Amino acid sequence: MKIKSQKDFWSGIMFIGSGLFFALWAVEFYQMGTAVRMGPAYFPTVLGGLLVVLGAIVLLQSLAMEPEGDQAVHTPFNIVDLAIALGIYAILIFLSVKIGFSSEWAILGATVIVALLTVMFRPDAKPLVLITAATIFYGYLMKPLGLVIATAALVFISAAGGHEFKWKEVTILFVILILFSVFVFVKGLTLPFPIWPEYFS
Amino acid sequence: MEQIFHNLVIGFSVAATPINLLFALIGCLLGTLIGVLPGIGPVATIAMLLPITFNLSPVGALIMLAGIYYGAQYGGSTTAILVNIPGESSSVVTCLDGYQMARQGRAGPALAVAALGSFFAGCVATVIIAVAAPPLAEVALKFGPSEYFSLMVFGLIAATVLAHGSLIKAIAMVVWGLLFGLVGTDVNSGVLRFTFGVPELSDGIGFVIVAMGMFGTTEIIANLDMKEHREIFTSKVKNLWPTKQDFKDSWGAVLRGTALGSCLGILPGGGALLASFGAYSLEKKVSRHPEKFGKGAIQGVAAPESANNAGAQTSFIPMLTLGIPSNAVMALMIGALMIQGIAPGPQVMNEKPELFWGLIASMWLGNLMLVILNLPLIGMWVKLLTVPYRYLFPSILVFMAIGVYSLSNNPFDVLIMGVFGVLGYICAKLECEPAPMILGFILGPLMEENLRRAMLLSRGDPTVFFTKPISAGFMIGSLILLVIVALPAIRKKREEVFVEE
Repeated sequence: MKIKSQKDFWSGIMFIGSGLFFALWAVEFYQMGTAVRMGPAYFPTVLGGLLVVLGAIVLLQSLAMEPEGDQAVHTPFNIVDLAIALGIYAILIFLSVKIGFSSEWAILGATVIVALLTVMFRPDAKPLVLITAATIFYGYLMKPLGLVIATAALVFISAAGGHEFKWKEVTILFVILILFSVFVFVKGLTLPFPIWPEYFS
Repeated sequence: MEQIFHNLVIGFSVAATPINLLFALIGCLLGTLIGVLPGIGPVATIAMLLPITFNLSPVGALIMLAGIYYGAQYGGSTTAILVNIPGESSSVVTCLDGYQMARQGRAGPALAVAALGSFFAGCVATVIIAVAAPPLAEVALKFGPSEYFSLMVFGLIAATVLAHGSLIKAIAMVVWGLLFGLVGTDVNSGVLRFTFGVPELSDGIGFVIVAMGMFGTTEIIANLDMKEHREIFTSKVKNLWPTKQDFKDSWGAVLRGTALGSCLGILPGGGALLASFGAYSLEKKVSRHPEKFGKGAIQGVAAPESANNAGAQTSFIPMLTLGIPSNAVMALMIGALMIQGIAPGPQVMNEKPELFWGLIASMWLGNLMLVILNLPLIGMWVKLLTVPYRYLFPSILVFMAIGVYSLSNNPFDVLIMGVFGVLGYICAKLECEPAPMILGFILGPLMEENLRRAMLLSRGDPTVFFTKPISAGFMIGSLILLVIVALPAIRKKREEVFVEE
């Protein structure tokens, strides 16, 4: 058996996996009901089953059909690495919550660790991981540290995910963006964001 | 006829108030801006602005958001013609002949024809909406749950047929989207589904968050994966006005583009993108000199640019009359209505005529503004093109993050956006289209609700979807669509349309 289309093969796996998950979870935990009075499990089970069938067709096609065009998955890193990284991320969050950290700090910490691991071992995945990490930092730093520091984290970390990083340019960009955020969004549209860390105000 | 005139008077009296004119202007400016800039589209922009529209009046909010969508169609052509990259996905085909015209020193006429063609199409589409929407809404008022369910099935199937790439994968994405849409509290039983003990999930996953992740962050990451290289066509844009010969050559193309675009826009799953592709192929077929296409034929600019603007506007028809989104932008519009506490559907036209007709009238005024914004002020937009992407993407991210965070001041929303960003990235790499999934996501709860009600009314008899005439019509329509696409000959055509251009 040879995989003729990498793209379809992995898509098939992805659909089957998530279809199974939704269907089994629904059957296990929610009531099925009848066709007349559908319970909460009915629709998800049907859809999950449908997704499994569709995924299986895609999977079989990837093995049988002669592919047209380029069917390799082009990521700058191995797609299995991505799964490993996501696994590490989930386990880190789970463990730190178990130890007794609040979920906010657990997520922040896990994001820092995965971002550092990426930069060290898989620099090609920087755009994906750093852009995602930057937005997560923004969200989780806003409440404790305020808009200025959250925006700084977002701008500098995401810029580091790009091709060129020049401190002077990024700093100027940050100053413009933070002024715009404060005057338009906080002062102008009165969004209730803290500007500085709680500690100071 | 008199009724339509009366309605349009209401519309213009709403749309022409200074504040609503301002909203239309802001929308058109923003739309042109993001249309010109590659790497950010109307979906991400509208998603970004949705939370802010909470503070606006319903009419103002819709006028502004609509302006962004059709404004982007104008802006996209500028980038396509001058830089040979589509500023907007619906301008892909404009690159082919527009850029060639620019290389021959005829960038000015290309830009002018694109803008004037769009303006003409916009005017026609506005009239079409005014004429076609009321009778459609009338019919829609008679719809019961089984009709709605079948209509949604039809819409989703149409969306997958019109998506490019594998049909089965597109259907799988729809089903996946439907499943994600079910996360949260089940309305009938109050049971929390798929929330895994996370309290933030009990209201479901916000549509805006999913759209921003799948379209916004994914787009940025994909752009960064590729090396940036952008050649800007430096020659000055001069001689904006087309020659007599240009007008003679392009008026037919504009008419055909407008007609085709208007039809394709109304179809569920349609909109600007499909319209421009269709119009270009049509133009090539009817032309007596098909060999000129790709070498700077003015028809190759006029037709797709008219079509995408017509399609962008007529795609409002199913949203306004049935409350059913035909593409991701319309799904966001429905989101905007719901933020304002207005349930979308056929009743909106009767209950809120000022909203409905105000929006339509604003489209015509907006198109007028856009011609002015795009022709005399073209130099300003050209300058914008020289801004490198490394300044743009952190700025886009800041606005997206503010938009998502301000939804409920909860960092969890931002985390979910990140999750869907990664998911969108994987889907892009596996060539699974995100647009059908987004449609499924927004229709998921609606479909389940209508399925339950229909089955309850029919006492569990599933044949109800095939015995009621309107419902049966939609179901048969969906089947026909599926069969047609599965036929080898047509499948080949469909692939050609999407690949060849």
